[in-house]
Amino acid sequence: MANESPPNDRLKSVWQNQPSEGIRMSVDEIRHRAGKFHKKIYWRNALEYVASLAVVVFFAFEFWRTTDALTRVGFGLFIAGLVYIVGQLHRKGSSRSLPAEMGLASGLDFFRRELERQRDLVGSVWSLYMGPLIPGWVVLMVALARTNPGHLRLIGLSFTVFNLFAALVFVLIWRLNLWAARRLQRRIDELNVLQGQR
Amino acid sequence: MPAPPPTQDELYREVAETYDAALERLARAYEADAEARRDLLQDIHIALWRSFEGFDGRCSLRTWVYRVAHNTAASHVLRQRRHKSQTLVGLEELESVPDHREGELTADRRQALERLMELVQTLKPLDRQVILSYLEGLDAASIGEITGISPGNVAIKIHRIKNILARRFQEGGRHGE
Repeated sequence: MANESPPNDRLKSVWQNQPSEGIRMSVDEIRHRAGKFHKKIYWRNALEYVASLAVVVFFAFEFWRTTDALTRVGFGLFIAGLVYIVGQLHRKGSSRSLPAEMGLASGLDFFRRELERQRDLVGSVWSLYMGPLIPGWVVLMVALARTNPGHLRLIGLSFTVFNLFAALVFVLIWRLNLWAARRLQRRIDELNVLQGQR
Repeated sequence: MPAPPPTQDELYREVAETYDAALERLARAYEADAEARRDLLQDIHIALWRSFEGFDGRCSLRTWVYRVAHNTAASHVLRQRRHKSQTLVGLEELESVPDHREGELTADRRQALERLMELVQTLKPLDRQVILSYLEGLDAASIGEITGISPGNVAIKIHRIKNILARRFQEGGRHGE
């Protein structure tokens, strides 16, 4: 190993004696800001749940209003898909690291865990956040065509165009996420090599 | 009768007193933008205060403080990288790439600090943790505890850091090769 040279000592001194901006916070200020942060998270989550609830209520109303059994099944599946997605969002949101865990985890462990969390998130966009809505959507489309036989051609055409476009967007998102997940996995593998050499 | 363990607030006050300047340097090494840096430093202080609720003395207070600070800053870098297309490099790459200012005399402390900061900010988070700990004067064992890198790998990384610093900041350059 190279010996400690005077320039490196000088650089350490330059580093350690750099001018300070003197930013200080009292415990009361920290507590106040931490409280504000919690409130922000609380309201953001509350907003998400209220928005989801509004959509569920709308579909529940449609479910109750319609007389067609297949349309009911479609709305029911849509509601079930939404509830599942909200549950997933809640679960993923609460899996973020707590500050005490940050103190227990070394940089390597923490960084790998964060990358794995991101990889799982981008890798599961299709299966967790889009897939659950598809059965309800398909059943609703079929029910719509079945209950409006007079407009079958028009419905069939718009159904095909819209679904082709949606499929294209889904495939694009899926490919992009796959690429991002692979990139994250490469970085995780690099860290695993470092970990394996412990 | 043994003294009661320090409270969350007492631990935070002690840390704020002792590591105030070091935490500011750490935030500066992770965020170049002044406003975002203030936010990051604030996040680090909040994370530290909150973390002391669960501090059980399993590791030293210093290791705990640096882990929380580095991990908070690493999260910040990960979040920022989604918005900025910044390419970060490892020590290995940095060691093999020559710098156009290599061997330039950096007698001026301010200029040396600017170049040092520039170098640190191009590094990947884990290598950044190692170089920052080295510049803060921590020994290899402490660096290993904070980063989780094996002692052997810490030694290799410190060797690389010394080579890079010697080449880039020493008059005449190319020392340590």
